[in-house]
Amino acid sequence: MGAWNEFTKGLWKEIPPFRLVLGLCPTLAVTTAAKNGLGMGLATTFVLVCSNVLISLLRNVIPRKVRIAAFIVVIASFVVIVELTMQAYFYPLYKILGLFIPLIVVNCIILGRAEAFASKNRLLPSIADGLGMGLGFTLSLTFLGAVREIIGNGTLFGNPILWDSFEPFSIMVKAPGAFLCLGVILGLMNWVSMRQQKKS
Amino acid sequence: MRELVRMVVVLAAICACSGLVLSFTSQATQVQRENQLLKFVKGPSIQAVFSDCDYDNDPIQDRMALSVGTDKDGNPLEKIIFLAKKGGQVVAVAYASSGSGYGGEIEVMVGLSMDGELTGISVMTHSETPGLGARITETVFTEQFRGLPLEEGVQLSSDGGAIDGVSGASFSSKGVISAINAAMELFSKVKEEVS
Repeated sequence: MGAWNEFTKGLWKEIPPFRLVLGLCPTLAVTTAAKNGLGMGLATTFVLVCSNVLISLLRNVIPRKVRIAAFIVVIASFVVIVELTMQAYFYPLYKILGLFIPLIVVNCIILGRAEAFASKNRLLPSIADGLGMGLGFTLSLTFLGAVREIIGNGTLFGNPILWDSFEPFSIMVKAPGAFLCLGVILGLMNWVSMRQQKKS
Repeated sequence: MRELVRMVVVLAAICACSGLVLSFTSQATQVQRENQLLKFVKGPSIQAVFSDCDYDNDPIQDRMALSVGTDKDGNPLEKIIFLAKKGGQVVAVAYASSGSGYGGEIEVMVGLSMDGELTGISVMTHSETPGLGARITETVFTEQFRGLPLEEGVQLSSDGGAIDGVSGASFSSKGVISAINAAMELFSKVKEEVS
């Protein structure tokens, strides 16, 4: 059951942007719409899982003193693969995410998981960890994007879902909206966990 | 000493593998990436420069490659010419041309009609300063070129020409101008090829 636990911890107990509060730069910057959050999340998940796999396999080969340099080369290579693939098959999304795709290289979640988990664990748990964390990140970004898109634009995944006379709060799709939204979600999650603790 | 050698060898091996994989990916996706550029960047630009023209074909489908000499290493250079046709007759052509601006190369799609007029220009890629040089993409600037005759070439009003540059961005404006002039110089050759 070890691998399963490693997988599920990323979905709630250690969900990256809300619990570990890591990877906030893309979290705040690209979640102007649900689709952008989803695309960014999936790209990050791919890099996370691939780098976890490779780093776990190479963990006995890489000398400790140069491990960070080695991790960065591995991560950066996967990021460029993602970038080229998106350019080739998802050009409009690539245009929107733009600079934030190469910036996946410096996303703390990926280097953090490589250093804290994949470099110390065997292959299977590392894959589970990468998948869980990546999925948690994707869900968080999609959720944040959806909330901001609904309130700020009245649409979800580009489809209008609110009544016609709805006046969008356009501040929600601008930078301050990202902070407002993230703060409220963090607060709600803390409140829920505190209630759970009291009960048990 | 052994540890030092090991560090160097491992890092070098990882970097070499990374380079290999990346160059392979880059080659494998090249054709598809160019197609996407055609569809999402050049497509709208071509439509913009032909917006005043009367044509009934798809210029992206009807494109041809024209060899235009060699680059500085002696490799043959090709230019992709997009043709606007009416009833099978070529009425205008569009092709990309570039000039150096303040922050790097500026790539411009230039439309030229067979009667010897600029049908329009559209800036495709640039790395100019946002808010200053980047304003070369605005219609206030680009619309000035529409309908100009091809013989004399274009010049900024500060150099005695007819084009008002973007204020505070003379390098960027000149980059666009030189790209257009380069395209005009090529026109007689292109005209010979297509007609």
